[in-house]
Amino acid sequence: MARMKFLCDADRCIECNACVTACKNEHEVPWGINRRRVVTLNDGKPGERSISMACMHCTDAPCAAVCPVNCFYTTADAVVLHSKDLCIGCGYCFYACPFGAPQYPRVGNFGSRGKMDKCTYCAGGPEADLGTAEYEKYGSNRLAEGKLPLCAEMCSTKALLAGDGEIIAQIYKERVVRRGYGSGAWGWKTAYRETVAI
Amino acid sequence: MEQDKKGVDRRKFFGALGGASGVAVAAAVSPLTATVAQAYDPGSAETKTRYRESEHVKAFYRTNGYETLKK
Repeated sequence: MARMKFLCDADRCIECNACVTACKNEHEVPWGINRRRVVTLNDGKPGERSISMACMHCTDAPCAAVCPVNCFYTTADAVVLHSKDLCIGCGYCFYACPFGAPQYPRVGNFGSRGKMDKCTYCAGGPEADLGTAEYEKYGSNRLAEGKLPLCAEMCSTKALLAGDGEIIAQIYKERVVRRGYGSGAWGWKTAYRETVAI
Repeated sequence: MEQDKKGVDRRKFFGALGGASGVAVAAAVSPLTATVAQAYDPGSAETKTRYRESEHVKAFYRTNGYETLKK
């Protein structure tokens, strides 16, 4: 069975933030919440790398492990979703997540938080597929429409890959093989301890 | 003497009360009796597979792979 994954090719990402914008527009994400963001390392220096980050839909999701109300569930596509009806906005998942994926709307003064919001892999939520209730709480359900997350489909440099983990891993593998030595391929320095010409 | 006997009775009463409540608390926090946390299950209809390799998805894979450059 296909397992849905994201994979960001950092050699291709140009930090255009189109994925962030596409996500916000597709799901009408409220002000102050970013389900996806672009992180840049060594900004402005040689070797600068950008990577688009969102919920990585972990197999053994730490957010689900710490949730006091057990509002998380994993679909057959290996997408980690949650119920906003059960969420109490405690913030535990935010501290547990290594990617900073859970976001909270500010619902009042003094830092009070609302229900957690995060990337749904464009797969909606526990409400009926493609309904108004689902859209209002979780955004659109592109997976049910036979599509993939819009952030990946929108990516102009084809840096962000989404879909069946095995297929996108193969696509990435082909890219790394094609680039060859000196491409700055992930893991090269770790494996060979050599200076990588970019 | 009468007062001492009363005092002992009172102590016994509170001792028994304390012991009983201690047993109740122990039962409540005991890992043996605790219920196992269950993940939220919205039902099979909502956790079923939605992904399918439609033409749209195949086009995404095709345009992201290097095979498009070979054509």
